[in-house]
Amino acid sequence: MQKRNSYNKLEDFLFDSSFQRWVKLGEDSSKWEEWTLDNVERAKLVEEARLWILAMNVKQTPVSNKEMQMLLQKTWGKIKDSKDNKPVKRILNYTWFRVSAAILVFAVASLFYFKIDNNFFSENIISYQDLVEKESVGLIEQVNNSENPQLITLSDASSILLQPKSKLSYPKTFNSRERKVFLSGEAFFEISKNSKKPFYVYSNEVITKVYGTSFRIIAYSQQANVDVLVRTGKVKVSSNRNMKSASVGEVYLLQNQAARFDRKEQFFEKILDITQDKSLFASTSTIEKLSFEFKDIPVHQIFKTLEQAYLVTIDFPVEKLKSCYLTTSLSDMPLPEKLKIICESLGFNTRYEMNGDHINIISDGCN
Amino acid sequence: MNKLKIRDENLGDCLLWSQLITGNEEAFSLLFEKYYSLLVNYGRTLSSESEIVKDCVQDVFVDIWNYRSSLSEAQVVKAYLLACVRKRIVRFHQREHIFSRIINIDSIDFLMEYSIEDHLIADETMASTVKQINKLINSLPARQGEALYLRYHQGLSVNQVSEVLDINYQSTKNLLHRAILQLRKEFPLSVLVALLSALLTV
Repeated sequence: MQKRNSYNKLEDFLFDSSFQRWVKLGEDSSKWEEWTLDNVERAKLVEEARLWILAMNVKQTPVSNKEMQMLLQKTWGKIKDSKDNKPVKRILNYTWFRVSAAILVFAVASLFYFKIDNNFFSENIISYQDLVEKESVGLIEQVNNSENPQLITLSDASSILLQPKSKLSYPKTFNSRERKVFLSGEAFFEISKNSKKPFYVYSNEVITKVYGTSFRIIAYSQQANVDVLVRTGKVKVSSNRNMKSASVGEVYLLQNQAARFDRKEQFFEKILDITQDKSLFASTSTIEKLSFEFKDIPVHQIFKTLEQAYLVTIDFPVEKLKSCYLTTSLSDMPLPEKLKIICESLGFNTRYEMNGDHINIISDGCN
Repeated sequence: MNKLKIRDENLGDCLLWSQLITGNEEAFSLLFEKYYSLLVNYGRTLSSESEIVKDCVQDVFVDIWNYRSSLSEAQVVKAYLLACVRKRIVRFHQREHIFSRIINIDSIDFLMEYSIEDHLIADETMASTVKQINKLINSLPARQGEALYLRYHQGLSVNQVSEVLDINYQSTKNLLHRAILQLRKEFPLSVLVALLSALLTV
């Protein structure tokens, strides 16, 4: 009811169901009357809205209980019949996931609201703790208490850079249907592509679903918003359905778009071009600023770029790889994939071993 | 208080919906009973053949049960059902249209007529004003009328209306905005109009 104080248009009233019920059924009569009389302009608007509602009646044909039971029986009958003639399995519409790839830049241009009913903040809060506790499978938790981002490599070869003061929980191995992780704080994700196994990030009240792409999520427990910024590919962001107001909807994001979920008012704001938002741009992490397009570059320099981007150390036989140059595009893929491509390009005898944030390249030199 | 009720309703729907997905027949029956007449009423605004509308609504439920394992759990049930019924009726009309060779391409039109709440009208002046408004609303273009109906009468959010009409969010917003704008333009009480536009430009 608090939101009615900001009503200044006819439709604000028309679309408010409690206002409708007051006009039609006299519900909460005293409250509305008092409020209306508070303000002269408002009173005129209320009067007009009242007339409109009276002019917008819809006739309903009621169905008797007996009739309803009959209809229900009939429908169950139809279900049985349809089972006997085996239905053709429908293919779900997954066209949206045709993922593209690209560059990064950041900003706000236009925005639009997925507005919903006002709710009380406390009621809708979903914390990282709630989410993790509900999960039945055993999770590994990584907490970053250091001052630098930390690299996490998942069992599906996706890589995640976890920012300081952030936590990530994930299973040792994913199940066969989906990949699900839980985040508190901020992280940059590079997800290995697998169209059969969607990747979900649960962060406070927001669920981010992707098949393979890179994006950043900022979801600190004390912060008023949850931000999802897409660097490449296509991402679906929705509110956690366990929330009481299920009507917040979902947002699809393409590269360089972002969604900000307002935790108090419970709606998504979509940011169409991140390149133009100074505050978002300023927060860009090192990895998002680096280019992974290499053209005839000495391999030790490529390793150096990777060290900077993922904050890892890479050991390699310096002498043997001294005169190796590579031309390759390593954008839009997780670290294990980048390493794999480098090793393959260098030659058959090259491979890598990864141990936490330490990577060892074993090589006899390049072709 | 009322807000709470509405939220509980959403929550209840979600619960029933997720139980339905797991194969709970009672949840299916409850949702059927809850939404059947609402959906038939909506369907009748899209087709004048009420038997066909009833069949379509039942078929929507048949499909929901048969394909329950592929349904998405995160769903505003009401908006989803309305969207299914709409698609079904549109599809039916398109099929029929092929057979009967009618040239009308806009196969589906919103037919609903708003009526007047007579028993709440206090006096003559009020009656005539309400009558004029009613006439204006009923003369809205079909698509605007339908958007208005879903938003106003079914209480859907703009986002959900766009889902049902299968158009994007911005177009839905424009549709609603144009409807209101047009109505207000022709609204008989010129004094109120002046007042309104003053308020709106603030």
